[in-house]
Amino acid sequence: MIKSRNLKFKYTSFNPEDNSKTEFQALNGINIDIHAGEFIAILGHNGSGKSTLAKHMNAIFVPSEGDLFVDSLNTKDENNIWDIRQKSGMVFQNPDNQIIATIVEEDIAFGPENLGIPKDEIKKRIDYALNSVEMSDYRKAVPSFLSGGQKQRIAIAGIIAMKPKYIILDEPTAMLDPIGRRDVINTIEKLNKEEGITIVLITHFMEEAIRADRVIVMDKGQVVLDDIPKKVFSQVEYLKNLGLDVPQVTELSYNLNKLGINISTDIISIDEMVEAICQLK
Amino acid sequence: MSIEIKNLTYIYGNNTAFYKKALDNINISINDGEFIGIIGHTGSGKSTLIQHLNGLIKPTEGTILLNGEDINSDKKKLKEIRQKVGLVLQYPEYQLFEDTVFKDVSFGPKNMGLSDEEVDKVVREALSLVGISEDTYYKSPFDLSGGQKRRIAIAGVIAMKPQVLILDEPTAGLDPHGRDEILNQIKIMHNKTKNTTILVSHSMEDISKLVDKIIVMHDSKVMYFGTPSEVFKHVDELEKIGLAAPQISYLIKKLEKRGIILKNDIYTVEEATKEIYKYLKTNGD
Repeated sequence: MIKSRNLKFKYTSFNPEDNSKTEFQALNGINIDIHAGEFIAILGHNGSGKSTLAKHMNAIFVPSEGDLFVDSLNTKDENNIWDIRQKSGMVFQNPDNQIIATIVEEDIAFGPENLGIPKDEIKKRIDYALNSVEMSDYRKAVPSFLSGGQKQRIAIAGIIAMKPKYIILDEPTAMLDPIGRRDVINTIEKLNKEEGITIVLITHFMEEAIRADRVIVMDKGQVVLDDIPKKVFSQVEYLKNLGLDVPQVTELSYNLNKLGINISTDIISIDEMVEAICQLK
Repeated sequence: MSIEIKNLTYIYGNNTAFYKKALDNINISINDGEFIGIIGHTGSGKSTLIQHLNGLIKPTEGTILLNGEDINSDKKKLKEIRQKVGLVLQYPEYQLFEDTVFKDVSFGPKNMGLSDEEVDKVVREALSLVGISEDTYYKSPFDLSGGQKRRIAIAGVIAMKPQVLILDEPTAGLDPHGRDEILNQIKIMHNKTKNTTILVSHSMEDISKLVDKIIVMHDSKVMYFGTPSEVFKHVDELEKIGLAAPQISYLIKKLEKRGIILKNDIYTVEEATKEIYKYLKTNGD
């Protein structure tokens, strides 16, 4: 379980011209529980603190106040850092910044090699990782010749080879085209459902967030909503005020409801909408 | 300015092992003042197509006519063409380089040989068109948010007063707020200047809100060219080539299968609200 208690974080920037310091409170008292096996989506506009929170989950940042625990390990204790980073792996937005080797399998081997894992075991892990992201045919490929979506799946495979319990993905599909996006999200869902890996997905895309078990919405460094997707997205007005999108069908059910049609406002999928309208006619 | 693309074919690495037909016999006419969206997945040829429109790439075959004039007829004219046709590339904020916003946007107009007063005037106009206020003029572009940086990069192109503005995925990587900010600003600009505007995007939902016509590129060819409602009727075909139509288009199609027939050219939430409300009022119990 990843657990935070009263987590606060301040960025301090230093201005060399007048030796002044500016502080920015990026996280302001976060309490969340992420249970093993869950698929969590975190939403929020730029500057809401979601990436800062994500970076606490594998101890890239440590709280200015309060605590964050990965299983029972407090990220504040430096002795825990290696264990924490092995338990929770991170995938970032730009695949080009995460791939370091010139051959796919070497890139995936990088993490396990650094853990001092024996050669045979590394080979097994590469097989397993490539298979998990459905990229086994690309074992000897050159990463720079792959598409964005494929590169991102290789980046995920590199994390999987470390056998993490948690994978935290910070807008992994923001730079991808629709096909790449679909492949990456399907991979993430499969890792969660079939391998039981806990997923924390930071995204701007509502169609990705509705696939999660739970959606956490952040604003101004705080958690403002934390519920199942249906309950979160039914707050159409509130989300729009935060500068977030809702699925088109959710907005449609909200509009119809306002016009006096007796339709449920927590519709998030097209099929639900079709059923609801069929029942009304 | 009107743009006419005639029999345009482009081949990368002709006569080599890397031979690839990136554009295959494209024929399109864009009228003066139109707002056009181009969609297609990676590798469909959309970026190659727009790079032809200001002469960055020369056709292997075919011609591009700008107001009736072949842009590749005279090499000496290319500079002029590139000023008339402003191209905002993907992630344009990577091209910011000056230490203040104002200086960065001035770069283009200065190179056009404008006087200091003229530069000052066009830069202010461009920045106000993209919604950047005066208190930001002397900040470093690198201290600003992603959406702001991108608008400044766009201003750098607008300051050269192009008569055609082409934007290659101007919202990629931005959050919904930054995305709406840019798209609204592009819409406002288009309404003000009435310049021909071309927007390349992956997002049908974004494009459908803005443009007069959509070009769908697939496999180096133009698959559809028409108004959003004409194009989005082809939900199934779009899905097959990996381009999702707006959710509403799917909904209308699925309702149709269940015997609820609505106008099939609906693709926005507003239209759907109106139509479904009308339907339920006349058919509901």
